[in-house]
Amino acid sequence: MTSFIINMAWRETRAAWRHFLYFLVCIAIGVGALTGVSLFGAQVEQAVTKEARGLLGGDLEVRLSRPISSTGQEVLDALTDRGVALTHVSELVAMAARAGSSGSGQPTQIIELKAVEPQYPLYGTLRLEPQSDFMDLLRQQTRRCPGRTCFGVVVQESLLIRMGLTVGDQLRIGQGLFIITGVVRTEPDRMANAFSLGPRVLMSREGLRTAELIKVGSRMRERYLLKVPSTMAPEPLLYELRERLALDAARVSSYRDAQPQLKQSLEQLTRYLGLIGLTALFVGGLGVATSVHAFVREKLHTIAILKTVGADSSTIIQTYGLQAMILGLGGSLVGLMIGVLLHQGLPWMIAALMASDLLDQLGFTQGGIALPLAPLAKGLVLGILSTLLFTLWPLLTIRDIKPARIFRRDVAPLASSSASDRTRWWIFWKGLDPAKAITSIGIGLGLALLSIWQANSWRVGLLFIFAFAAAVLLLGASAHLVLGTLKNGPRPEALILRQALGNVVRPGNQVVNITIAIGIGVMVVTTVSLVERSLLAQVSENRPTDSPTFFFIDIQPDQAEGFVGLLHQQSSDQAPKLTPLVRSRLAGLKGEPIKIEATSEEEEQKEKAAQKEERRKKWYLTREYVLTFLHDLPKDNKVVRGEWWKPEQIFTKPLISIEEDAAKQLDLTVGDTLELDIQGTPITGEISSIRQVEWGNFSTNFYMIFSPGALDGAPHTYVATVRVAPSEEVALQQAVVASFPNVTAINMGDVLDSFAKVLDRLSLAIRAVALFCVLSGGLVMAAALAATRYRRLYESVILKALGATRSMIARSFAVEYALLGALGGLLGCALASVLSWAVLETVFDLSWNLQPAVLAVGVVATIILTMLVGFLSTYRILGQPPLSVLRQE
Amino acid sequence: MISVKHVSMVLPAAGRSVTILDRITFDIPAKQTVAIVGPSGSGKSTLLGLMAGLDRPTTGSIQLDGIDITAMSESQMARFRREKVGYIFQSFHLIPTLTAIENVAVPLELSGERHAGERAAELLAAVGLSSRMEHYPVQLSGGEQQRVAVARAFACRPPILLADEPTGNLDSSTGAHVIALLLSLHRDHGTTLVLVTHDTTLASSMQRVLSLRDGRLESDSMPSYSGSISDVTTDSPRKNQVVPADRSLSDSAPESRV
Repeated sequence: MTSFIINMAWRETRAAWRHFLYFLVCIAIGVGALTGVSLFGAQVEQAVTKEARGLLGGDLEVRLSRPISSTGQEVLDALTDRGVALTHVSELVAMAARAGSSGSGQPTQIIELKAVEPQYPLYGTLRLEPQSDFMDLLRQQTRRCPGRTCFGVVVQESLLIRMGLTVGDQLRIGQGLFIITGVVRTEPDRMANAFSLGPRVLMSREGLRTAELIKVGSRMRERYLLKVPSTMAPEPLLYELRERLALDAARVSSYRDAQPQLKQSLEQLTRYLGLIGLTALFVGGLGVATSVHAFVREKLHTIAILKTVGADSSTIIQTYGLQAMILGLGGSLVGLMIGVLLHQGLPWMIAALMASDLLDQLGFTQGGIALPLAPLAKGLVLGILSTLLFTLWPLLTIRDIKPARIFRRDVAPLASSSASDRTRWWIFWKGLDPAKAITSIGIGLGLALLSIWQANSWRVGLLFIFAFAAAVLLLGASAHLVLGTLKNGPRPEALILRQALGNVVRPGNQVVNITIAIGIGVMVVTTVSLVERSLLAQVSENRPTDSPTFFFIDIQPDQAEGFVGLLHQQSSDQAPKLTPLVRSRLAGLKGEPIKIEATSEEEEQKEKAAQKEERRKKWYLTREYVLTFLHDLPKDNKVVRGEWWKPEQIFTKPLISIEEDAAKQLDLTVGDTLELDIQGTPITGEISSIRQVEWGNFSTNFYMIFSPGALDGAPHTYVATVRVAPSEEVALQQAVVASFPNVTAINMGDVLDSFAKVLDRLSLAIRAVALFCVLSGGLVMAAALAATRYRRLYESVILKALGATRSMIARSFAVEYALLGALGGLLGCALASVLSWAVLETVFDLSWNLQPAVLAVGVVATIILTMLVGFLSTYRILGQPPLSVLRQE
Repeated sequence: MISVKHVSMVLPAAGRSVTILDRITFDIPAKQTVAIVGPSGSGKSTLLGLMAGLDRPTTGSIQLDGIDITAMSESQMARFRREKVGYIFQSFHLIPTLTAIENVAVPLELSGERHAGERAAELLAAVGLSSRMEHYPVQLSGGEQQRVAVARAFACRPPILLADEPTGNLDSSTGAHVIALLLSLHRDHGTTLVLVTHDTTLASSMQRVLSLRDGRLESDSMPSYSGSISDVTTDSPRKNQVVPADRSLSDSAPESRV
């Protein structure tokens, strides 16, 4: 018996491999998409874990947003006695200007500055060009600029490109003059943020001092990287430092939790890409089911013969099931190869997401990490299991084949063929007999489990499978409805139209599954476009016309007046706005002090187990608050509770106006008190109003605004917002850098450009995976059309015999495929609108707009695609001479 | 050997029910050769199919070798058929994707026979096709295909051979060759042979002739003692030829063609 199953499965595969090409490719595409994504995810995970110390820069990191206090410095200094290696890194944003006549690019450029000590880096490697000693490149360069103090800097290549400079040219940063001595290729601990304000410039601490950039209240990040001796566990030291540096409001973290954000965002990206891959696999599954269904119908005679010579249904089901599994295995193996190829491409697409050469750092480009086996195995298993689930239903129809009825010549053939058309296998819930009902439940459960496995989350997996099922049902039901309407509607007069419509609505048509497959593919791709377009519109088109061109930060109080003067001189903006900024952290709520970080293992565990809601609350508690003090309520702010202070109001104590969400998360209301730590000095204020803030207005917005005078004496800087014409931008930036070297100019246009670029790359990566869904959809259509090949052939030769030309038949095919495409495209785009609405509302918290242009492109592209696929799978029929076909009949 | 009792078959066709067989009863003892004759649509093929357990009668029972096959499940029936019944079709119905030898090997493999290939080769040699074993059905002539079908039907040495117009698609000399083959199996192995036919000569070469008309058993005779068959077969044989040919065309809807 077993030998029969194996022999027969092999013989049938041998005979029908061409037929199963679609089957194979459907599985291969889905498995390819999934495997590519999981390979990428696994490698990122592996690399981030492996390079964790390098990514943080040490075993432990102490991070502050202002220079450390002398007691804090003592704590750190004392560590060296315990054998801990320590290095100090300062990071800040600044402006670089061309010095002298060299260079042909822009004269000024915003940069991300990093000042380091000789011990840097403690972990990982800094790759520089030329590959000489790092500190040699950064030391004072007396020979190159005689008579002046100038230090060497190594810069990222993009700086050279933008400013038109080469190694050896001079650069002015702050008050200092520098010589570019080299290029930095990789830097182990550059924060892998999606955004970077500008290229990296590395200098020595002495160099930083000559730049004189660090003023009171400057925006900066002080980092102390620690390397703990191998005999010492880092965790106790972590908690000890958290306690002892609490007054400095220092954040202490260990390499184990390094880059949680990076890890999390890459994980999320991988998860969603994985679900899109799963969609491709499931759409491909519909193709597999279509193929097998068509195969079983083609094999009616063979199956009937087998039953006559004594094979029972289960033997035949096992035979063809085994054949399907062989093909599923083959398809999955091909899919693994596609996956490996995709895996080579994905990092390249995602690379631009990272400001730094993160992927380079992680060893992606060197191919240093072997292909992880788990994702390959998972892809294989997913491919085979989906094959099984999607072929079960069509294979079950084998049981209904009655040999006596197929061979009967006593009565005209029964309407059995149309009855089996009615067993639309994908309508799971309509199982009539128990075996089918149980199978359909099994298939549903199986698909749900596969989704949960892939998503690695019950919630997301179930959500996915329900959404998928809902999309399938909606598409199926709509296709049914349209089909019914077309069937009962009047037939068009024109022969070509009539023939095309006849082909669409004929019994045994594949319209419903073609619509489902095409519709889902279109839905996924269009949703990506819609969401991307909405996000871009949000930041560009919806940007208020009076939004500022420049944000100038770190303006010192004594520079404020001069700065306003310069702005009046250099720009047409008559009302440049200067807003005071004070950097602070929460120290207490309603009189209760706040503990910022866990100082023991148990607390750490508790925090990690906390719900998303609580983590969000925690974020509000521990973040840095930039405060201001203002007379007037800023624009786009609305007081929803309490009252804004009146003009001429006398303040007996500091009053605070707090933003609505912050008030909610911190559980504060009007009348509560709030203690803030301003660079070591505590200040207590009372909440007098709660505001609603329009965050997306491209202006300076604040969580907390103090009453005028409340922060007098606190270290503060000013931020200036200016709106100028594009032609004035360069001159203004240059003038500011010349007169106020410590002030950093942030050009909103550049920021938005880099946002758009990141978004573009992100959607490229998503679209690359989503393309697999469209590919699957096209294949399903091709498979479905291939199933009707014989009937089409027969009909077209009869039409030819009756005098129809080849072009008439081709045109009727074209109209038919266009109809299918229009149906799938319209429904898919409609669903995409719904899905994009859901994504924008729930994920991005943005409002949804109808985007007719994107939708129109979606529908038209779908029609073109279906016509293309249709012709590719049926063009051979057109050339068949009638006689050769009819003679065989 | 074969016992048919009150067998009726009613099928729905085009929205109404059609009685194809109407309370048929007869017994066929072991080792007998029987012809079932009758005009087109008289229910001969259906009756033969029911005797092979390819479908279930609406009412009545059929016993083969003392076992009621109408009570069997589909898979029990399939296994039973493997051992007891060989079936031959008018249009051969070889599996087009398998070679001649593979076609013959199928029932052997289904029975779990170890040397299915060797046995299939012997069987093909016995029907004179040792040189054509690796040919596919399309590469064989009608007579050769039918000989492969006979070899396949007899592969498991079933005690009963059922043949549905085995010569209907063959010219007379090829047909004669196939009949000789069937009769030799009967002679050498004592096989019970039941065939449906239009051919009067063929019918008269059987020991017994059952004649059907409109689903009823019209006559049951031993040809050497009775001339009643001629009544049936002289009944416009031309028309009988034409109609099934027509139908077989409409049977084969293009997409169900393999």
